[in-house]
Amino acid sequence: MSEQKSKEKKPSYTEFTLDMFSRSSGKNHAEIKQFNQWREDVISADKYTFETPHLTPQTPEIVVRRIHGDEHRLFNFSSYNYLGYANHPEVINAAKDALDKFGLGATGSPLLNGTFDIHKQLEHALTEFFGQEGYGISLFSSGYGANIGVVSSYIHKGDYVVLDHSSHASLIDGAVMSQGTLKLFRHNDAEFLERILKRIAKDNRRILVCVEGVYSTDGDYGNLKDIVTVTKKYGASILVDEAHSLLVAGASGQGAVEKFDVLGDVDLLIGTFSKSFGGVGGCLYAKQELINYMNYYARSRMFSCALDPAVTGGILKALELATGPDGYAKRKRIVENADHLRSLLINKVDIGTSQSWVIPIIFGDERKSIPLADYLMRKGYDFSIMMFPAVKKNKSIIRAFVTSEHTKEQLEGCAEALIDASKEYDFAL
Amino acid sequence: MTEQVAVDNLIIWEFDFAMTTFYEVDTDLITPLLPKQISPMEIVPGVSLLNITAFNFPEGGLGYLPNFQELIASIVVTPDLSRGVPKFAMYIFSLGSTCQEHLDHSTDYYKLPSYKKLEYGKINRADNAIEFGDTDGPILTMNNCSTNIGDFLGHERYFQAFVLQDDNLFIADLYLKAALFEHQDQGDAGIINNHPFLKGLELFDEERVPYLQMLLEPGTRGKQFYYKPEKYG
Repeated sequence: MSEQKSKEKKPSYTEFTLDMFSRSSGKNHAEIKQFNQWREDVISADKYTFETPHLTPQTPEIVVRRIHGDEHRLFNFSSYNYLGYANHPEVINAAKDALDKFGLGATGSPLLNGTFDIHKQLEHALTEFFGQEGYGISLFSSGYGANIGVVSSYIHKGDYVVLDHSSHASLIDGAVMSQGTLKLFRHNDAEFLERILKRIAKDNRRILVCVEGVYSTDGDYGNLKDIVTVTKKYGASILVDEAHSLLVAGASGQGAVEKFDVLGDVDLLIGTFSKSFGGVGGCLYAKQELINYMNYYARSRMFSCALDPAVTGGILKALELATGPDGYAKRKRIVENADHLRSLLINKVDIGTSQSWVIPIIFGDERKSIPLADYLMRKGYDFSIMMFPAVKKNKSIIRAFVTSEHTKEQLEGCAEALIDASKEYDFAL
Repeated sequence: MTEQVAVDNLIIWEFDFAMTTFYEVDTDLITPLLPKQISPMEIVPGVSLLNITAFNFPEGGLGYLPNFQELIASIVVTPDLSRGVPKFAMYIFSLGSTCQEHLDHSTDYYKLPSYKKLEYGKINRADNAIEFGDTDGPILTMNNCSTNIGDFLGHERYFQAFVLQDDNLFIADLYLKAALFEHQDQGDAGIINNHPFLKGLELFDEERVPYLQMLLEPGTRGKQFYYKPEKYG
C-alpha cells in the first residue's frame, strides 16, 4: 500500500505548514529551532525538494542535484522562462557583448554613477515598445524592488493601498513600507472593491489599487476592465503588475493591459525581467514626470546597484526578439501549448480558473505537499508545489509553468505524470 | 501528544457540535484588545484574524453539567513555539455560555473572560448554522459558507490559548480530537453585530470576510483536551 493511502500516522513533517514556524512569542527565538527541526525531518526522510541546484540552464529538460547528492534528469515545468529567452543564443551573445564592453557589475546607484548607456538604450526601447507619448521607464534591479519602491513612494501615511487578495508579496510589502492603510478585496471581485472604495473615498486621501495582469497562483487574468472602471469612478490610481504577462499576453506582448485594452487608463505598470525576458530586474512604465520623481524617491532604486550591464544587454536583445517575428511565433506557441496541456488535464484534475501559461493543479490537502513534490521529482518532473498559506486551505496546488519551448510530447508526458499522481494521491476528478 | 489521560491539570470536554470561523479584520481594530506581551499573527501586514467559535456540549459532556452552548471570541496571536507548534494560538477576550455554572467554572479554573450568561444559542445542525444572543440583542449568526464540504479529517490539532486575568497573562495548551472539515471559501458566513460581547470591536461589512472555517462532522463527537493555564512571561 502506498504511503499516502495508508491509515498509519503520517510523518510529523506533513502536519506542518511553513506559516506555523514563522513567528514565536517569547525571547528565545523558538521559531528558528522548530523550523530547523522540521527541515531536518524532511531531509532525513529524503523528501526534501527545496533549494535543489540546477546543473543545466532553464530549458525544458534539466538536471538537478538533490540534497543527498543524487542527480535527476527532469522535465522542467517550474521555470518562468516562458519564451525561452534565458538561454536563447542571441540573448546570450548580447549579454556577453555587454559584459565585454561594460564589465561585470554597474557598481553604483542608477541615480549617481551606475547608469550606463545600455540602461538608457533599454529605457528607450521599452518606452517605444509601449508607445504612449509622454511616458517613460524607470529601471529597478528586481521586480520585487520595483513594487516596493513604487508603492512606498507613491502612497504615504494616511493614504490607502487596496490590493487583490491574491496579490504578490512585493505589493503587500510595498504597502507596508508606505505606511498607508492596506485593504484587501476578494480576488478579481470588482463589486467588492467598489464597496471598499466607496467607504474610504470619503476620507479624501490618495488611493492606489494594485492588481496583476496574470496571477501567478491562480493562472487567471486580472479582471482589468471592471477594476479599472471602478477605480477611476472613485478617483483612485491603478497599478498593474505584469510580471507574468509582459511579452507574453497581448498581440504584441504589452501584457494583459493590451489584451484588455486598458493601457491608456493605467497609472503605473510594473514589469519584471526575470520571467519572459529571461534575465533579472524590473521596471516601472508611467508618465515621464512620475518616472522622474520615482528615479529620485523610490528608495529600493536609489539605494540599490543598477542592473548588471550583461543582464541589461540580454534583456534588450530579448525585447528586440519578442517584438519581432520570433516573439509573435513564441506567443502563439505558448498559448497553444498551455491550451493543449489544459485540454489533457481538464475533467481529470482540478485546474481551477487557469486561463494562461500558469496552470495550477489543485490537490487539496497540504499534508500531501512534501511527499507529492518528492514523488513527482522521482517520476522525472519538476513543478512548483504551493501550500497554505501561499494558497488557500485544502487548495494546495502543483503549479505547472508552460513555455513556448515545450514540445507536444513533453506536454503529454507532463499530463500523464500529473494524472498518475492524481490517482496515487487521491485528487483525480 | 498521542493519548491524553485525565490528570490534575487537564479536563476533557466532549462536544457534539463545533463550528469556528476566522474573520479578517484590520490589525488596528483589534490591537487595543491585546496585552502588550503578545502580538497579532497577521495573515498579511495590517490584516489579523478574529475568531468566533461555538460549541454544543451535550449533557454529560462535562461532568454533571446539562446540555449547553458556548460562544468564544478570540484573536489569533503569535504562538510560543517553545511549547510546541500549534495550529493557531488565540488570545481569548470574551466567553459566553448558556450555562452560568460553566461560566463560573471557566472564570475560576481557566481564567477565561466570562462575558455573561447568554439568552440563547440556537444550533441548526442540518445546515451548520448558529444564532447567539442575549438581553442586549442578537450577537451573531454564523453559517457554513462552503458549497463543497470535503473530507472531515480526524487528526489531532494542537492550539494555544492566552488569557488575561487581573493583569496577569496565562497560557494553556489545548488539543482537539475531532473529525473536522476546514475550508477557506469566502462566501457569506453570517452577520456579526456590534454587540457588547465583542468588547467594543466594530466591524464593517467588507471586513467580515471569512478567512477559514472549521466544522465538526455531523453526527460525531469530538474531544477537547484543555489544560489548566499557566502564568506566562
